[in-house]
Amino acid sequence: MNLLLGLLLGAAFGAILQLSGASSYTKILETLRLKDLTIMKVIMTAIGVGLIGVHGLDVLGVAHLKVKDLYLPGIVIAGLIFGMGFALTGYCPGTALAAAAEGKLDAWVTIVGGLFGAFTFAFLFPNLESFLASFGGFGPVTIHGSFGVNGLLIALPLGVLCLWGAAKLPGSGTT
Amino acid sequence: MQPKMTNHEKARVPILPWWAGGLGIGIVLLIAVALVQPIGVSTQYVVLDGVLLHALSPDLADDSPYLKEASKGWTLATYEFFFVVGIPIGAFLAAAITKRFSTRVVPPLWADRFGQAPGKRLAWSFIGGFLLLFGARFGGGCTSGHMISGVSQLAVSSFIFSAALFASAIVTARWLYPEQVKQ
Repeated sequence: MNLLLGLLLGAAFGAILQLSGASSYTKILETLRLKDLTIMKVIMTAIGVGLIGVHGLDVLGVAHLKVKDLYLPGIVIAGLIFGMGFALTGYCPGTALAAAAEGKLDAWVTIVGGLFGAFTFAFLFPNLESFLASFGGFGPVTIHGSFGVNGLLIALPLGVLCLWGAAKLPGSGTT
Repeated sequence: MQPKMTNHEKARVPILPWWAGGLGIGIVLLIAVALVQPIGVSTQYVVLDGVLLHALSPDLADDSPYLKEASKGWTLATYEFFFVVGIPIGAFLAAAITKRFSTRVVPPLWADRFGQAPGKRLAWSFIGGFLLLFGARFGGGCTSGHMISGVSQLAVSSFIFSAALFASAIVTARWLYPEQVKQ
């Protein structure tokens, strides 16, 4: 039952990525070159809906949350490495799967490269773990948690701001 | 009458407007959060690595605490893995139904700048893919896990990861495609 749910949700996610242009190399690169911000608008809308919805669900007591740990400077280095890969391939780990299914051979190779990258990390992890732990590890901190307020208090205005920003950003056709 | 577009040309035009795409991704996230857990993709690359390695050499796989932790029980029959398997299925169906399925090696934008040679594009795709998943595992998440799920939960690590990701990706994109110097 859970497997079927996963498959259906994943399929919906993949279909939306495909239909909104998120799996397109050109759309991603045009966004990163700040030429056509369509994908930025998609992401900001998703985050806006997510912020308001997730914290709304949390208030209702039905949210299953999983906040990732903060460790510095590891998380910054990780983001920088990921960003380079994102611009070189034009895909992220999820959209590469969508693009591969659309017949894009460079996405297939991206996935293979990704499997090697993940593999390398897995075997370097015991060494990296001590490096990560020796610096600032802060655990799963959230913005509202550090202020000691209910999440919705921050998520609602921030979510509205994201949706407003998404609407205001220029889309395709403007350079 | 407009000339008939090829699948290649059609594929470049998104079917969904930005708001519908964003709303759709948001709704998938909310259903996932309400029923199971936030969405994530990159861990499943490790899981597949672990299960494959375990099939080839169980001892070697057991040696890695990281693989052992990620691929619990060395099985692919999990909600998380099936979610990731669903992505290409959904994308394929969407592309096929809207007649936008098209095969190619080199993206047109890349070809304009670096030429049609497939080897060069594929070599950089491999290197890029390697960095992508190395970075994602280092940071504990990717675009789905950190940017969509993490930022939505107001996780500090996800805001920092996303900011670093975009800064680096924008600089790298500029380096790949320098701006024309205006006379």
